[in-house]
Amino acid sequence: MAALESLLVDKGILDLTAVDGVVAHYEHAVGPMNGAKVVARAWVDAAYRERLLADGTAAIAELGFSGPEGDHMVVVEDTPEVHNAVVCTLCSCYPWPVLGLPPNWYKSPPYRSRMVREPRVLLAEMGCVVPDGCEIRVWDSSAEVRYLVLPMRPVGSDDLSEEELAALVTRDAMIGVERL
Amino acid sequence: MSILAVRDEGFAEPSLPRANGEPAFDAPWQARAHALAVLCVEASGGEWDDFRRRLMAAIEEDDQRPYWDSWVVALDVFITEWGVVATVP
Repeated sequence: MAALESLLVDKGILDLTAVDGVVAHYEHAVGPMNGAKVVARAWVDAAYRERLLADGTAAIAELGFSGPEGDHMVVVEDTPEVHNAVVCTLCSCYPWPVLGLPPNWYKSPPYRSRMVREPRVLLAEMGCVVPDGCEIRVWDSSAEVRYLVLPMRPVGSDDLSEEELAALVTRDAMIGVERL
Repeated sequence: MSILAVRDEGFAEPSLPRANGEPAFDAPWQARAHALAVLCVEASGGEWDDFRRRLMAAIEEDDQRPYWDSWVVALDVFITEWGVVATVP
């Protein structure tokens, strides 16, 4: 890896400062805190929620989040009848601008295969019990589409501000392996 | 391996700090590899999908290989096919 980096830098193809810049950007500026802001906005602003569900990429860009792996965003909404969960069966497609980089388990072969084969069992093993009678929809992220789950607003959160709501939103809830 | 084992392992990894979630990298070289791919795709004038397809192929080639090792394999292929350097070590 170091050899590869040196080669690209020595040949003038990449700039070392740029590499450091990207590393720092993904360390500090990109992560699930961005997606949490999107979810909280959708909870408090019905018009935004509609735009988000109609065109995820554009509505997310309204809050200033875009970049690699952030095109073709589709937001799927949880309801009392439907629980959504996201996987990438072929590699690790994941909406970086709103969730950061995927956790290790998301990239693991067991998650990638079992989420499709036995989502209810797998989710329960991960501590996410989906009530009987609630349908589970599994979305396979790909180059064409990257999914983000819009979880249900927690009961009893009516008095919270948008910022306080954002603090309740977890990465796992936006992947669909946790219920808030 | 159960998903829980994978997940616990993930939580236990010492690495870069993340807000609201565990770290994405186990070691600094992985963050460099990630950044190199982002910048190479950008410099090549192509789409992120150009890299993603090679990553998919590298993972399919050996699903048990550690993820970031497959990433580097894909990056090697990408750079070789891009043709900006004569040979990749």
